[in-house]
Amino acid sequence: LSARPVGERLCSVEEATAGSGTYTRHGFIFSSLAGCLEKRSEDSGLPIVSVVRDTESQLLPNVGAVVTCKVCSINSRFAKVHILYVGSTPLKSTFRGTIRREDIRATEKDKVEVYKSFRPGDIVLAKVISLGDAQSNYLLSTAENELGVVVAHSEAGAQMVPISWCEMQCPQTHSKDFRKVARVQPQFLQT
Amino acid sequence: FVPEPRLQYVPVKGDRVIGIVTVKAGDVFKVDVGGSEQASLSYLAFEGATKRNRPNVQVGDLIYGQFLVANKDMEPEMVCIDSNGRSNGMGIIGQDGFLIKVSLGLIRKLLAPKCEIIQDLSQLYPFELVLGMNGRIWVKAKTVQQTLIIVNILESCEYMTAEQRKQALAKLSGN
Repeated sequence: LSARPVGERLCSVEEATAGSGTYTRHGFIFSSLAGCLEKRSEDSGLPIVSVVRDTESQLLPNVGAVVTCKVCSINSRFAKVHILYVGSTPLKSTFRGTIRREDIRATEKDKVEVYKSFRPGDIVLAKVISLGDAQSNYLLSTAENELGVVVAHSEAGAQMVPISWCEMQCPQTHSKDFRKVARVQPQFLQT
Repeated sequence: FVPEPRLQYVPVKGDRVIGIVTVKAGDVFKVDVGGSEQASLSYLAFEGATKRNRPNVQVGDLIYGQFLVANKDMEPEMVCIDSNGRSNGMGIIGQDGFLIKVSLGLIRKLLAPKCEIIQDLSQLYPFELVLGMNGRIWVKAKTVQQTLIIVNILESCEYMTAEQRKQALAKLSGN
Protein backbone atom coordinates (compact mmCIF):
# COMPACT_ATOMS: atom_id res chain seq x y z
CA LEU A 1 0.00 0.00 0.00
CA SER A 2 2.08 2.90 -1.18
CA ALA A 3 1.05 6.53 -1.03
CA ARG A 4 -0.16 7.87 -4.36
CA PRO A 5 -0.42 11.49 -5.40
CA VAL A 6 -3.57 12.98 -6.85
CA GLY A 7 -4.10 12.53 -10.56
CA GLU A 8 -1.79 9.61 -11.00
CA ARG A 9 -2.83 7.21 -13.67
CA LEU A 10 -3.52 3.90 -12.01
CA CYS A 11 -4.41 1.48 -14.77
CA SER A 12 -6.63 1.03 -17.80
CA VAL A 13 -10.35 0.35 -17.72
CA GLU A 14 -9.85 -3.15 -19.08
CA GLU A 15 -7.79 -4.24 -16.08
CA ALA A 16 -10.01 -3.03 -13.26
CA THR A 17 -13.17 -1.13 -12.33
CA ALA A 18 -13.06 2.32 -10.78
CA GLY A 19 -13.93 2.41 -7.09
CA SER A 20 -14.13 5.24 -4.59
CA GLY A 21 -11.49 7.95 -4.81
CA THR A 22 -10.92 7.38 -8.53
CA TYR A 23 -12.35 8.51 -11.86
CA THR A 24 -12.13 7.29 -15.44
CA ARG A 25 -10.98 9.44 -18.34
CA HIS A 26 -9.94 8.45 -21.87
CA GLY A 27 -10.10 4.75 -21.01
CA PHE A 28 -7.85 4.95 -17.97
CA ILE A 29 -8.45 5.10 -14.23
CA PHE A 30 -6.96 8.06 -12.36
CA SER A 31 -6.92 8.73 -8.66
CA SER A 32 -8.77 11.76 -7.35
CA LEU A 33 -7.50 11.57 -3.79
CA ALA A 34 -4.03 11.56 -2.27
CA GLY A 35 -3.81 8.30 -0.38
CA CYS A 36 -3.13 4.56 -0.58
CA LEU A 37 -4.04 2.34 -3.50
CA GLU A 38 -6.42 -0.47 -2.65
CA LYS A 39 -7.16 -3.30 -5.03
CA ARG A 40 -10.08 -5.53 -4.09
CA SER A 41 -10.76 -8.61 -6.18
CA GLU A 42 -14.37 -9.42 -6.96
CA ASP A 43 -15.45 -12.95 -7.78
CA SER A 44 -17.61 -11.74 -10.63
CA GLY A 45 -15.80 -9.46 -13.09
CA LEU A 46 -12.80 -7.24 -12.67
CA PRO A 47 -11.08 -6.24 -9.46
CA ILE A 48 -12.08 -2.89 -7.98
CA VAL A 49 -9.37 -0.26 -7.62
CA SER A 50 -9.92 2.48 -5.03
CA VAL A 51 -7.82 5.09 -3.24
CA VAL A 52 -8.33 5.56 0.47
CA ARG A 53 -6.96 8.35 2.66
CA ASP A 54 -4.81 7.41 5.62
CA THR A 55 -7.42 8.61 8.06
CA GLU A 56 -10.90 7.24 7.87
CA SER A 57 -13.28 9.33 5.84
CA GLN A 58 -15.43 11.69 7.82
CA LEU A 59 -19.16 11.09 7.72
CA LEU A 60 -20.82 14.29 6.54
CA PRO A 61 -24.36 15.24 7.51
CA ASN A 62 -26.71 15.25 4.54
CA VAL A 63 -29.86 17.26 4.12
CA GLY A 64 -32.57 15.46 6.06
CA ALA A 65 -30.21 13.66 8.44
CA VAL A 66 -31.03 13.68 12.16
CA VAL A 67 -28.03 14.92 14.13
CA THR A 68 -27.24 15.19 17.83
CA CYS A 69 -25.77 18.53 18.81
CA LYS A 70 -24.82 20.58 21.83
CA VAL A 71 -25.93 24.20 22.19
CA CYS A 72 -22.93 26.50 22.62
CA SER A 73 -24.51 29.95 22.57
CA ILE A 74 -27.93 31.54 22.19
CA ASN A 75 -29.12 34.83 20.82
CA SER A 76 -32.57 36.32 20.52
CA ARG A 77 -32.60 35.32 16.84
CA PHE A 78 -30.89 31.91 16.72
CA ALA A 79 -28.94 29.28 18.64
CA LYS A 80 -25.45 28.15 17.68
CA VAL A 81 -24.67 24.47 18.16
CA HIS A 82 -21.81 21.99 17.77
CA ILE A 83 -22.84 18.88 15.82
CA LEU A 84 -21.52 15.85 17.70
CA TYR A 85 -23.22 12.78 16.17
CA VAL A 86 -24.71 12.11 12.75
CA GLY A 87 -27.36 9.46 13.31
CA SER A 88 -25.55 7.16 15.71
CA THR A 89 -21.97 7.71 14.48
CA PRO A 90 -19.83 10.12 16.53
CA LEU A 91 -17.88 12.71 14.56
CA LYS A 92 -14.15 13.12 15.13
CA SER A 93 -14.29 16.88 14.72
CA THR A 94 -17.47 18.78 15.46
CA PHE A 95 -19.24 20.79 12.82
CA ARG A 96 -21.04 24.00 13.63
CA GLY A 97 -24.76 24.44 13.10
CA THR A 98 -27.36 27.16 13.50
CA ILE A 99 -30.97 26.75 14.59
CA ARG A 100 -32.92 29.85 13.59
CA ARG A 101 -35.72 31.13 15.76
CA GLU A 102 -38.36 30.31 13.13
CA ASP A 103 -37.09 26.74 12.78
CA ILE A 104 -37.41 25.81 16.45
CA ARG A 105 -41.12 25.01 16.36
CA ALA A 106 -43.60 24.08 13.66
CA THR A 107 -46.52 26.07 15.15
CA GLU A 108 -46.68 29.69 16.44
CA LYS A 109 -43.28 30.52 15.00
CA ASP A 110 -43.46 34.23 15.85
CA LYS A 111 -44.15 33.62 19.56
CA VAL A 112 -41.02 31.50 20.02
CA GLU A 113 -38.42 32.70 22.50
CA VAL A 114 -35.01 31.12 22.05
CA TYR A 115 -34.31 31.54 25.77
CA LYS A 116 -37.37 29.41 26.57
CA SER A 117 -36.42 26.68 24.07
CA PHE A 118 -32.68 26.11 24.47
CA ARG A 119 -29.90 27.02 26.86
CA PRO A 120 -26.13 26.68 26.43
CA GLY A 121 -25.07 23.15 27.33
CA ASP A 122 -28.28 21.39 26.23
CA ILE A 123 -28.09 18.30 24.04
CA VAL A 124 -30.52 18.66 21.14
CA LEU A 125 -31.78 16.35 18.38
CA ALA A 126 -32.17 18.32 15.15
CA LYS A 127 -32.59 17.74 11.44
CA VAL A 128 -30.33 19.25 8.78
CA ILE A 129 -32.31 21.47 6.43
CA SER A 130 -29.44 23.06 4.52
CA LEU A 131 -25.71 22.62 4.12
CA GLY A 132 -25.16 26.37 4.08
CA ASP A 133 -22.63 28.37 2.03
CA ALA A 134 -18.87 28.02 2.18
CA GLN A 135 -18.51 30.13 5.32
CA SER A 136 -21.80 29.60 7.08
CA ASN A 137 -22.79 26.70 9.27
CA TYR A 138 -25.25 23.90 8.71
CA LEU A 139 -28.84 25.07 9.09
CA LEU A 140 -30.78 22.84 11.45
CA SER A 141 -34.40 22.59 12.47
CA THR A 142 -36.23 21.15 15.48
CA ALA A 143 -39.71 21.72 14.08
CA GLU A 144 -41.00 18.22 14.78
CA ASN A 145 -42.28 16.39 17.83
CA GLU A 146 -39.36 13.98 17.88
CA LEU A 147 -36.78 16.78 17.71
CA GLY A 148 -35.64 19.14 20.46
CA VAL A 149 -33.90 19.01 23.80
CA VAL A 150 -33.12 15.52 25.14
CA VAL A 151 -30.66 16.28 27.95
CA ALA A 152 -30.62 19.50 29.92
CA HIS A 153 -29.17 20.50 33.27
CA SER A 154 -30.79 22.84 35.76
CA GLU A 155 -29.08 25.75 37.51
CA ALA A 156 -28.46 23.42 40.46
CA GLY A 157 -26.52 21.07 38.17
CA ALA A 158 -28.90 18.10 38.17
CA GLN A 159 -30.21 16.52 34.97
CA MET A 160 -33.78 17.68 34.41
CA VAL A 161 -36.77 15.44 33.77
CA PRO A 162 -39.24 16.37 30.99
CA ILE A 163 -42.79 17.10 32.13
CA SER A 164 -44.41 18.26 28.89
CA TRP A 165 -43.28 19.29 25.42
CA CYS A 166 -42.31 22.71 26.73
CA GLU A 167 -41.24 22.18 30.34
CA MET A 168 -38.58 20.29 32.25
CA GLN A 169 -38.23 19.92 36.01
CA CYS A 170 -35.15 19.59 38.21
CA PRO A 171 -35.46 16.54 40.50
CA GLN A 172 -33.50 18.22 43.33
CA THR A 173 -34.99 21.69 43.55
CA HIS A 174 -38.30 20.91 41.77
CA SER A 175 -37.95 24.14 39.83
CA LYS A 176 -39.39 24.14 36.30
CA ASP A 177 -37.57 25.44 33.27
CA PHE A 178 -38.81 26.03 29.76
CA ARG A 179 -37.30 24.00 26.95
CA LYS A 180 -38.49 22.67 23.58
CA VAL A 181 -38.49 19.01 24.65
CA ALA A 182 -38.11 16.13 22.16
CA ARG A 183 -40.59 13.27 22.31
CA VAL A 184 -38.14 10.41 22.00
CA GLN A 185 -39.54 7.12 20.68
CA PRO A 186 -39.97 4.59 23.55
CA GLN A 187 -37.62 2.05 21.93
CA PHE A 188 -34.71 4.50 22.16
CA LEU A 189 -35.18 5.23 25.84
CA GLN A 190 -32.99 3.40 28.35
CA THR A 191 -34.17 3.02 31.92
CA PHE B 1 -32.71 38.09 50.76
CA VAL B 2 -31.14 40.11 47.98
CA PRO B 3 -27.44 39.43 47.33
CA GLU B 4 -25.50 42.67 47.17
CA PRO B 5 -22.43 42.64 44.92
CA ARG B 6 -20.36 45.62 45.99
CA LEU B 7 -18.23 45.95 42.89
CA GLN B 8 -19.46 44.57 39.58
CA TYR B 9 -23.00 45.23 38.43
CA VAL B 10 -24.96 42.25 37.08
CA PRO B 11 -27.86 43.16 34.74
CA VAL B 12 -31.27 42.21 36.12
CA LYS B 13 -34.53 42.36 34.17
CA GLY B 14 -36.52 45.46 35.10
CA ASP B 15 -33.59 47.39 36.61
CA ARG B 16 -33.31 51.02 35.55
CA VAL B 17 -29.74 51.96 34.71
CA ILE B 18 -27.70 54.78 33.21
CA GLY B 19 -25.80 53.65 30.15
CA ILE B 20 -23.28 55.28 27.83
CA VAL B 21 -23.75 54.78 24.08
CA THR B 22 -20.55 53.31 22.60
CA VAL B 23 -21.49 52.08 19.12
CA LYS B 24 -24.16 53.25 16.71
CA ALA B 25 -24.60 50.48 14.14
CA GLY B 26 -27.60 50.96 11.88
CA ASP B 27 -30.69 49.95 13.81
CA VAL B 28 -29.08 49.01 17.11
CA PHE B 29 -26.99 50.90 19.64
CA LYS B 30 -24.49 49.27 21.96
CA VAL B 31 -24.65 50.71 25.47
CA ASP B 32 -22.07 50.30 28.20
CA VAL B 33 -23.90 49.61 31.48
CA GLY B 34 -20.97 48.57 33.62
CA GLY B 35 -21.67 44.85 33.29
CA SER B 36 -19.62 42.10 31.67
CA GLU B 37 -21.34 42.67 28.31
CA GLN B 38 -22.61 45.74 26.57
CA ALA B 39 -26.38 45.98 26.27
CA SER B 40 -28.15 46.38 22.95
CA LEU B 41 -30.74 49.15 22.47
CA SER B 42 -32.96 49.30 19.42
CA TYR B 43 -33.72 52.71 17.89
CA LEU B 44 -37.44 51.84 18.04
CA ALA B 45 -37.36 51.45 21.83
CA PHE B 46 -38.01 55.14 22.47
CA GLU B 47 -41.34 56.88 22.95
CA GLY B 48 -42.77 58.02 19.63
CA ALA B 49 -40.01 56.42 17.58
CA THR B 50 -40.86 55.07 14.14
CA LYS B 51 -38.74 54.05 11.18
CA ARG B 52 -39.11 57.58 9.79
CA ASN B 53 -38.87 59.39 13.11
CA ARG B 54 -35.59 58.19 14.61
CA PRO B 55 -34.34 59.36 18.01
CA ASN B 56 -31.30 61.65 17.97
CA VAL B 57 -28.79 59.44 19.75
CA GLN B 58 -25.04 59.97 19.34
CA VAL B 59 -22.05 58.01 20.56
CA GLY B 60 -21.22 59.21 24.06
CA ASP B 61 -24.80 60.11 25.01
CA LEU B 62 -26.20 59.07 28.38
CA ILE B 63 -29.29 56.88 28.32
CA TYR B 64 -31.63 56.10 31.21
CA GLY B 65 -33.43 52.86 30.41
CA GLN B 66 -34.53 49.52 31.81
CA PHE B 67 -33.60 45.96 30.93
CA LEU B 68 -36.01 43.96 28.82
CA VAL B 69 -33.87 40.83 28.67
CA ALA B 70 -31.11 40.15 31.20
CA ASN B 71 -29.86 36.65 31.93
CA LYS B 72 -26.51 34.93 32.09
CA ASP B 73 -26.87 33.22 28.70
CA MET B 74 -27.70 36.13 26.40
CA GLU B 75 -26.62 39.66 25.66
CA PRO B 76 -28.74 42.11 27.72
CA GLU B 77 -31.33 44.20 25.89
CA MET B 78 -32.34 47.67 27.04
CA VAL B 79 -35.41 49.75 26.23
CA CYS B 80 -36.44 53.33 27.04
CA ILE B 81 -40.18 52.69 27.11
CA ASP B 82 -42.30 50.73 29.54
CA SER B 83 -44.82 48.02 28.67
CA ASN B 84 -47.45 50.63 27.71
CA GLY B 85 -45.17 52.40 25.27
CA ARG B 86 -44.67 55.50 27.46
CA SER B 87 -41.20 56.77 28.26
CA ASN B 88 -42.01 57.19 31.98
CA GLY B 89 -38.92 59.24 32.76
CA MET B 90 -36.55 57.17 30.61
CA GLY B 91 -34.70 58.25 27.49
CA ILE B 92 -31.66 60.33 26.58
CA ILE B 93 -30.27 62.35 29.48
CA GLY B 94 -29.81 65.99 28.50
CA GLN B 95 -26.70 68.09 28.11
CA ASP B 96 -24.45 69.22 30.97
CA GLY B 97 -24.59 67.66 34.35
CA PHE B 98 -22.04 65.32 35.89
CA LEU B 99 -21.89 61.51 35.94
CA ILE B 100 -20.25 59.68 38.86
CA LYS B 101 -19.80 56.05 39.82
CA VAL B 102 -20.62 54.93 43.37
CA SER B 103 -21.04 51.56 45.06
CA LEU B 104 -24.25 49.59 44.51
CA GLY B 105 -25.02 49.67 48.22
CA LEU B 106 -25.15 53.47 48.24
CA ILE B 107 -27.59 53.46 45.32
CA ARG B 108 -29.96 51.20 47.18
CA LYS B 109 -29.74 53.48 50.21
CA LEU B 110 -30.51 56.52 48.05
CA LEU B 111 -33.45 54.78 46.39
CA ALA B 112 -35.11 53.96 49.71
CA PRO B 113 -38.26 56.04 50.33
CA LYS B 114 -37.67 59.26 52.31
CA CYS B 115 -33.89 59.00 52.02
CA GLU B 116 -32.29 61.46 54.44
CA ILE B 117 -29.32 62.22 52.20
CA ILE B 118 -31.55 63.40 49.35
CA GLN B 119 -33.75 65.42 51.70
CA ASP B 120 -30.74 67.18 53.25
CA LEU B 121 -29.23 67.92 49.85
CA SER B 122 -32.45 69.36 48.50
CA GLN B 123 -32.42 71.89 51.35
CA LEU B 124 -29.07 73.07 50.04
CA TYR B 125 -29.60 73.79 46.31
CA PRO B 126 -32.21 72.72 43.77
CA PHE B 127 -30.80 70.04 41.44
CA GLU B 128 -31.76 67.25 39.04
CA LEU B 129 -30.75 63.73 39.96
CA VAL B 130 -30.86 60.43 38.04
CA LEU B 131 -29.93 57.23 39.90
CA GLY B 132 -28.91 54.13 37.93
CA MET B 133 -29.00 50.71 39.59
CA ASN B 134 -25.62 50.02 38.00
CA GLY B 135 -23.96 52.42 40.43
CA ARG B 136 -24.08 55.54 38.22
CA ILE B 137 -25.49 58.88 39.36
CA TRP B 138 -26.11 61.91 37.14
CA VAL B 139 -26.40 65.31 38.82
CA LYS B 140 -27.20 68.71 37.37
CA ALA B 141 -27.56 71.92 39.40
CA LYS B 142 -27.83 75.56 38.32
CA THR B 143 -24.09 76.28 38.28
CA VAL B 144 -21.06 74.07 37.78
CA GLN B 145 -19.83 74.85 41.29
CA GLN B 146 -23.10 73.73 42.87
CA THR B 147 -23.05 70.56 40.76
CA LEU B 148 -19.55 69.71 41.92
CA ILE B 149 -20.43 70.34 45.57
CA ILE B 150 -23.37 67.94 45.35
CA VAL B 151 -21.23 65.36 43.57
CA ASN B 152 -18.60 65.51 46.29
CA ILE B 153 -21.19 65.14 49.04
CA LEU B 154 -22.76 62.11 47.30
CA GLU B 155 -19.41 60.43 46.81
CA SER B 156 -18.37 60.95 50.41
CA CYS B 157 -21.75 59.76 51.73
CA GLU B 158 -20.43 56.22 51.48
CA TYR B 159 -17.98 56.83 54.28
CA MET B 160 -19.52 59.64 56.29
CA THR B 161 -21.89 59.07 59.16
CA ALA B 162 -25.14 61.06 59.36
CA GLU B 163 -23.67 63.56 61.84
CA GLN B 164 -20.60 64.22 59.69
CA ARG B 165 -22.85 64.79 56.71
CA LYS B 166 -25.06 67.24 58.56
CA GLN B 167 -21.96 69.11 59.76
CA ALA B 168 -20.60 69.35 56.20
CA LEU B 169 -23.96 70.58 54.86
CA ALA B 170 -24.31 73.12 57.66
CA LYS B 171 -20.87 74.50 56.81
CA LEU B 172 -21.84 74.78 53.15
CA SER B 173 -25.19 76.44 53.70
CA GLY B 174 -23.48 78.80 56.14
CA ASN B 175 -21.26 79.95 53.27
